[in-house]
This record gives sequence, structure tokens and C-alpha cells, in this order.
Amino acid sequence: MSEDKFLKVEDLNVHYITTEQDVFAVNGVSFEMTRGKTLGLVGETGAGKTTIARAILGILPNPPAKVMGGKIYFEGKNIFELSEKEMLDIRGNKITMIFQDPMTALNPVITVGEQIAEVVELHNGGDKAAAKNRAIEMLETVGIPAERYVEYPHQFSGGMKQRVVIAIALACEPSLLLADEPTTALDVTIQAQVLELMKELNEKNDTTTILITHDLGVVAEMCDEVAVIYAGQIIEHGSLEEIFDYPMHPYTNGLFGALPSMKEDENDTRLHPIAGLPPDPTQLPEGCYFSPRCPYATEECRHGDIPVTEIRPGHQIKCIHPQEVK
Amino acid sequence: MTQVANKVETRGLVELKDLKKYFKSPRGTVHAVDGVNMSIAKGTTMGVVGESGCGKSTLGRCLINMHPATAGKIYFDGEDVTGLKGAALHKYHSRAQFIFQDPYSSLNPRYTVQQSISEPLVNERKYSKSEIDDRTVELMKMVGVDMRFRNSYPHEMDGGRRQRVVIARALALDPEFIVCDEPVSALDVSIQAQVLNLLMDLQDQKNLTYMFITHDMSVVRHISDDISVMYLGQLVETSPSKELFIHHYHPYTKALLSAIPSTDIHHKMNRIVLKGELTSPIDPPPGCRFASRCMYAEEKCLEPQVLEEVTPNHFVACCRVHEVNEDL
Repeated sequence: MSEDKFLKVEDLNVHYITTEQDVFAVNGVSFEMTRGKTLGLVGETGAGKTTIARAILGILPNPPAKVMGGKIYFEGKNIFELSEKEMLDIRGNKITMIFQDPMTALNPVITVGEQIAEVVELHNGGDKAAAKNRAIEMLETVGIPAERYVEYPHQFSGGMKQRVVIAIALACEPSLLLADEPTTALDVTIQAQVLELMKELNEKNDTTTILITHDLGVVAEMCDEVAVIYAGQIIEHGSLEEIFDYPMHPYTNGLFGALPSMKEDENDTRLHPIAGLPPDPTQLPEGCYFSPRCPYATEECRHGDIPVTEIRPGHQIKCIHPQEVK
Repeated sequence: MTQVANKVETRGLVELKDLKKYFKSPRGTVHAVDGVNMSIAKGTTMGVVGESGCGKSTLGRCLINMHPATAGKIYFDGEDVTGLKGAALHKYHSRAQFIFQDPYSSLNPRYTVQQSISEPLVNERKYSKSEIDDRTVELMKMVGVDMRFRNSYPHEMDGGRRQRVVIARALALDPEFIVCDEPVSALDVSIQAQVLNLLMDLQDQKNLTYMFITHDMSVVRHISDDISVMYLGQLVETSPSKELFIHHYHPYTKALLSAIPSTDIHHKMNRIVLKGELTSPIDPPPGCRFASRCMYAEEKCLEPQVLEEVTPNHFVACCRVHEVNEDL
């Protein structure tokens, strides 16, 4: 068992099972993280990003979700072997999550202050006064005046609500933060404020973060490492510089090519979309899941398991025909 | 045209003169659009950018008379189309169309693709069944939706294909002008690129004029000829697209552009992080609406601001524009 790594996910498989069909959401995801780093999980809608985060936190909706295999080691312990009581101690305390939509993540009939204090109280042995003090401290940390403790979520704007959600997530000083599209619902100038705040707090508390996003700009801004997810598999993984400077997987290259460029010298008027659509997760193709859309796919790609290889130091790729585009 | 007498000499296909749209609310009057002047030349795309609540969608809806304007004028091809009703409005809508943000809710869930696309043609009541069928097939080909989907319902299709159906429906009556309100915001990047390419190809083929409303600066840069930046119901800066991304003079535009997370990991922009948030559009004070968040604000910013042409075709509404920008 590996205890040197702070978080280790091994061959994780999650399916959503209903009477009509099985959805293959996560199909053999493995990665490791060292303390204090930020990993970006990048991929399109339905790629399985959120399912991975929920599996780590042990909040997969069961049924229909079922972990079909794999292990997740957090601080050396396999969280799938922990009891629900032990998980309660970790969840919200050592591992916390920021959800995408601040409008629905908060309880509309409880004041924001109480919502922060609630989390603290659950994990500090029930000391109400200390919990309230901590909640006030957290509100101020995220830039909300303490007198707004008694206000309800509807009295806050979207950006401020997301800051309350961040305050809840960070109130117990977690060692692992799962941020699921934390700024997707916000305007760019507010997004800039919230990202700045997250960066500052993460550095101060040495928090390890998994940032889930589809926005490559946000990844460039926040992450040390990047994992690109396609149809429930990590197809490329490496440091930020490796992935952004030397993207090798045809899908990663496709993602970069599809983005409208902000560069001044760009005169190319056509974008380069990836042909076709992501595969139906109930009927995944054989071989490489990207092969039906891949311009470089050969017969080899359509059969068997595609191995993960280290193509450059610290840069892994699940592809037989890596492409270097420069 | 019977209204030749009313024709006004205009530069653009679409021309707005001091357009205002106010909404009454229990807490006061919401100044959603407050004195917008704009001109969109035929065959070009005007990008309208701004944050949520700045009035950009209201502006788009006013243009096709979905909201009646409170004050001001809208000219289309030289004709005053403000406040049109009945048959005249119907006729205007065959020339000016709308694409909404959310392809999930802008299609009738109980209509098949064919029914949705042909609905505007059926409503015209002048085409035979076979004409309508032929035109529907032509439209589906045009937007790249395979014929096997003609009897599918919206829930059976993915977002990108649904948005293509919405585009086909907007094109059914061969309009000259389309207001596109965040048409790709609900789509993933790879699909977004497909739809943007389609919109640009259609513009080339049919010499279409677009008003393209979005909050995504990289998308607007890609598709627009001109860009207008909106803040709380007013234009703060308007300029040809290429020019705006090189020279932006209004403090808000500067902050907006610097806030975009860049995928360039080696050249970090200096970010201007704004303090505070959008102030309320309910009965706003007369001065610059950005003043409360602006780091350059001073006494004279409390006076009303006017758009000033700082360089050819580049307008900025800021009284301190020459003091703030050394290169002007």
C-alpha cells in the first residue's frame, strides 16, 4: 500500500445502473497527488469529472451509482473500507467540496452565518460559541462583512453566494478541496475575484485541490497538474507546462483547436471543431473510446485495451498515435 | 414598400437612436436599456458584450419588438420599426429573427424537428405542403442536421444539434437580420466551434447581419466585426473588433478584458481585479454607472457621460479617458 502519496486513486470504475441500462461513467481512472498541489480535471459534459469527485467524497447517489472496482487511498487509508461513521469525520472536515451552482448549494431558509457555523459545530464537538466565531472569521476571510451573518442567501448576489459556499468548504481547514466548476456560474470579473480568493486561501492553508472545469483558461490560471478526461478515462496527464506546451493526445489537441483564440496575430477565421460527438456512455466503442472521432485512428486503435505510456518525463498518455502539434 | 415617405437616411441596416427600455418594479424603475445608440452595417456582425444584468438581452429583444421600447427609435433598412403591431410586425419578423440561448427550452418539446423548422412557413399561409416540405429539407441540409432526424423530438437530440434546429427555424423565412442571444453558451467547446463555424458560413452565403450577444470575450472576438461593451444599460465603449482588443480605453473594458483567464501559460496579463459588484439598475444616479467600482473615479464622473470618438470609429463614454490613457 502506498502511504507516501497524500491521495491515490487506483483503477476506479463507477457505473450508473438502472433497470433499462448501465451507464459506464468512470472506466479505470488512476492518479496520485502530493500535498499542496492543484490538479485540474478537464473534460466535456458527461466525461465523468463530477463522478470522480463524488466517489472521493463518498457521496455518489446509490442507487443508481455503483463503484464497480478500484481503490481510493486518502492519507494512506482506503476510503471504500471505512465505515459511514469514519467517513462522516472526514467529509466536510478533511475533504470538502465546492459545488457548481451557488444558487442551489445553499439552504434558502437558514442564514448564511448559521450555514457556515453548522459545519464547524459538527466537527468541533458541538461548541456553538466557537463555531459562531469561526463562521464570522470565515465570512471576513472571503470578503463579506460580519454583520451580514444574519442574512439569507437570496439577499446575496451570485458571486457573494459562491463566496459563502467557499467559506463553508474551507471553514474546517480541509486538507483536500474538491472544487466542481466553482466559477462557471459567475461573470468574468466576479470569477477573477473568486479565483484570486481561492488561490490565496489555498496557499495560506497548503490545501490540496482538485479543480473540475471545462475552461482551459481557468486551468492555466490555477493548476499545477492537468488530467484530461474523455468518456470516463484519463487520456492525458502531466504538469501544466507539459499539457499546454506539448499536448500529444489527438483529443487534447482537438480541445485546444476548438477554442477561439485570443491572440492578436490570429487571422484564421475558422475554428477547428472535433468531428462527431462524445460516445454514448451506455454503449462505449471497443478499443480507444476516442477512435471513432479521431483523424489518426488505425485498425489497432479499435481493439483491446490501449496502454498508458509515459511519453515524456511526467507526461502520461493513453494513445497509440500521439501527435505533436506545434 | 408603401412607407417610402417615412424612409430615413441611415448608414446601417439596423440603427438605434437613444433607445430606452424601463421596467416598473415595486422598488422603482429598472433602467434595463438606457439611451443606446448603435448602427449595424449590412452583412456585418455587431457583438454586444457585458456581464449578466447589464441589459444586453433586453436590448436584443427590443430590436425585434419582443419588448416594446420605452423611448427612442429603431430603424430597420431605413424604416421606423419601433412599436410595430399586427401585420406590420409579422412582416418585420420575416426579415428580422431571433436565436435564443437555450436550445433546450426554445423548441416545443412536442414538435418534431420537421414541425419546428416548418412552423414559420406554415404560419405564412402562402406555401403549399410540398413547398414547405422542400424548404424544410433544404434548411436541414443548410444547417447540417441529417434527414434521419426529421421525425425526432428535441429530447432525443444533443444540445449542438438542437441549436442547429433552432438556427434552421430562424432561417426559414430567409431573414436579413438575426439577433443571436448567447447561442453557444450552453454548448461544450468542441460543439460550440461547430455552431460558430455554421453561423459564419451562413453569413457569408446569405450576407446576413447579426447582433451577437454574449459574455464570452473570445467568442465575440472571433465572430464580430464591431463590438459594443455594455454596462448597466449603457454603452461604455464601441469599436471595430480588431481595434478593441489592441486598444481599449474605458476602465471597465480594461478590467473586463484583463479578467478573462488566458490559456497562454507563459505570458500572464496584469489583472485588474474590480472591487464590488454591479450596482442596482433601479433608478440609477445620473453620473457614470461604473464610477462606484472605478479606480479612476472623481467628482466629474458624477455628471452624465457621453460617447466620444477618441480615434476613428472608436467611441468611449468616459470623461477621464484622455487622463487615464497616456496614448490618447
